[in-house]
Amino acid sequence: MEAIQLEHVTKAYHIGAVETKALNDVNLSVAEGEFTALVGPSGSGKTTLLQLIGCLDKPDQGAVKIKGQDVTRLTGNQRADLRRERIGFIFQFFALVPVLTAYENVELPLLLNGVKPKERRERVIELLEAVGVSHRANHRPVQMSGGEQQRVAIARALASRPVLVLADEPTANLDTANGQQAMEIMRRLNEETGTAFVYATHDPRVVAFAHRVVNMRDGRITDNGAHA
Amino acid sequence: MPLNKLWTLAARDLGRNRRRSILTLLAVALGLALLMVMNGYIAGVTEDTLQNSIRLRTGHVQIRASSYEEDELSLQAKDLLANPDELTARVSTLSEVKAAAPVLWASGILETHDDSAGLQIYGIDTASPMYAPIQAAMISGEFLTPDDRNGILIGKPLADSMNVGAGQKVNLAIVNSDGRPDEGTFTIRGLFATGIPSYDQSVAFMPLSKAQAFTGTNRHASAIFILLNNQADTEKVAAALRGPDVKVLTWSDLNQVFVQTMQTSMSFYAILDFIVMLIVAVIIANTLLMSVFERIREMGILAALGMKGRNILQMFLLEAAGLGLAGIVVGIVLGSAGVAYLATNGIPIGDQVAAVGGSSLALGTTLYARFVPGTFAALSLAMLLIVVLASLYPAWYAARLEPVEALRAE
Repeated sequence: MEAIQLEHVTKAYHIGAVETKALNDVNLSVAEGEFTALVGPSGSGKTTLLQLIGCLDKPDQGAVKIKGQDVTRLTGNQRADLRRERIGFIFQFFALVPVLTAYENVELPLLLNGVKPKERRERVIELLEAVGVSHRANHRPVQMSGGEQQRVAIARALASRPVLVLADEPTANLDTANGQQAMEIMRRLNEETGTAFVYATHDPRVVAFAHRVVNMRDGRITDNGAHA
Repeated sequence: MPLNKLWTLAARDLGRNRRRSILTLLAVALGLALLMVMNGYIAGVTEDTLQNSIRLRTGHVQIRASSYEEDELSLQAKDLLANPDELTARVSTLSEVKAAAPVLWASGILETHDDSAGLQIYGIDTASPMYAPIQAAMISGEFLTPDDRNGILIGKPLADSMNVGAGQKVNLAIVNSDGRPDEGTFTIRGLFATGIPSYDQSVAFMPLSKAQAFTGTNRHASAIFILLNNQADTEKVAAALRGPDVKVLTWSDLNQVFVQTMQTSMSFYAILDFIVMLIVAVIIANTLLMSVFERIREMGILAALGMKGRNILQMFLLEAAGLGLAGIVVGIVLGSAGVAYLATNGIPIGDQVAAVGGSSLALGTTLYARFVPGTFAALSLAMLLIVVLASLYPAWYAARLEPVEALRAE
């Protein structure tokens, strides 16, 4: 089954009287378990596409479906529920909550989902070990390196066993070695869990990890399926 | 999300900018402490002044003849109680009554060779416990005995102003019950100082029987003075004593000007309380708004993780409540210290200021605060409510942020 389907999706931004089309009649399907790279120059619409798939924003036209469910007509709270249960996010700027430890950051989605304490503890430890930062469990973000923070962010994105993880430039703030390591972890977890990953990048070394590469330019998809 | 976890987040957020949190906490604490000291002082001054008046001037309840007018200090038989001893005996049988005694009032002029002063003469039952406060306030000479035929007591400030002292003779002029002027020579048996300048300067005591003889009022009295064991029983006792030929007045009637003045003043003090709370509210709202603006992107991340606006609202309200509660605890400590200091040491206002109120205001020369736990608890609750109300807008603002806009914030 398709994890994501986008049908004739259009999204425009207005700055004063000027309208800029960030996405223009985009159609895209991503299958369950796929590891997909969105590639394109700055301003091509990658981030907007990820935000629409992630139910963080609504399209002006067209439909966005997650596991067959049209999410474009959902209310704010319903979209929050969907994000909490089915979607994980990895951001370029790591985006950990600064006052929480690594353990607590990974625990946060589980708390939001009402997971019981014992199961929560086991899941957090399992994930921190899977991304190799269990020794940093009680450290706050400011006490960790960028690579470690991003690995905690990957663990957090997978905490609630989502069907889909969206990553916006996940290696842009990392050096080559840490970027490589983060991608290897994402790829390994994709294979182990069957969770679909869609990540935006313009780094060719990062593109190389993808099963499938979707090229974008000027708000349109120019190549819908070249496999790496 | 469980409330205890939200609380953890809120508490840690407060620690993020410690200096700002501490300053805001201090604003709440100092605001509450100021309100406690202000209200404790007002309550102390009000209650002490009222109790002074009840103890020395009015009692809790008075029985007078129906036609008696206090301002005139009438000595005419029709305006006086003809059977004061019988009435006193009847009043004394009531279990709520601590002491009851007849009193005769007359206006008079105290004269020496060089000076004269107008005053109010109290003819009193010298054996009554009603006058224990005067006995306790004697600073020279001795208290009156019932059979003293020419002794009087005057206040020390009056004696000082007329250059007389215990043992000296003075002349006392009155207009008697027939409306004729009369005078007599009296010996100052002693001087008293109650600490209420307006009282000490304007009152002279003599035994009731002597006052009755001097004024020609036979065995009549102006009023029966009644002190109760418990002030709350006033209305009950007054109701039991009301009859066709007498009027029964309570401490509230007898201190009407003071009570009304204080009620009016309370509205003014309530406005002051409100202004202090408003200032605290603005500080809290400002702190939380700054906190929200600094964390807009973080709100976006929490929203992306699926946290609902309701949870974000709760988180900010918990932050405000935490800050408010901590501030209130510190405020109670600071305020209690301030009230304790003023309850022990008071603020001296001097004889002249204390006498400004005249005989209707029994102000002491030092005004003390007092603990009013009910008021302090109400102020603390009101402060907590104000803090939470002030945080509603910042919390609501944070809760309404669109995730995609919040994530774009720098």
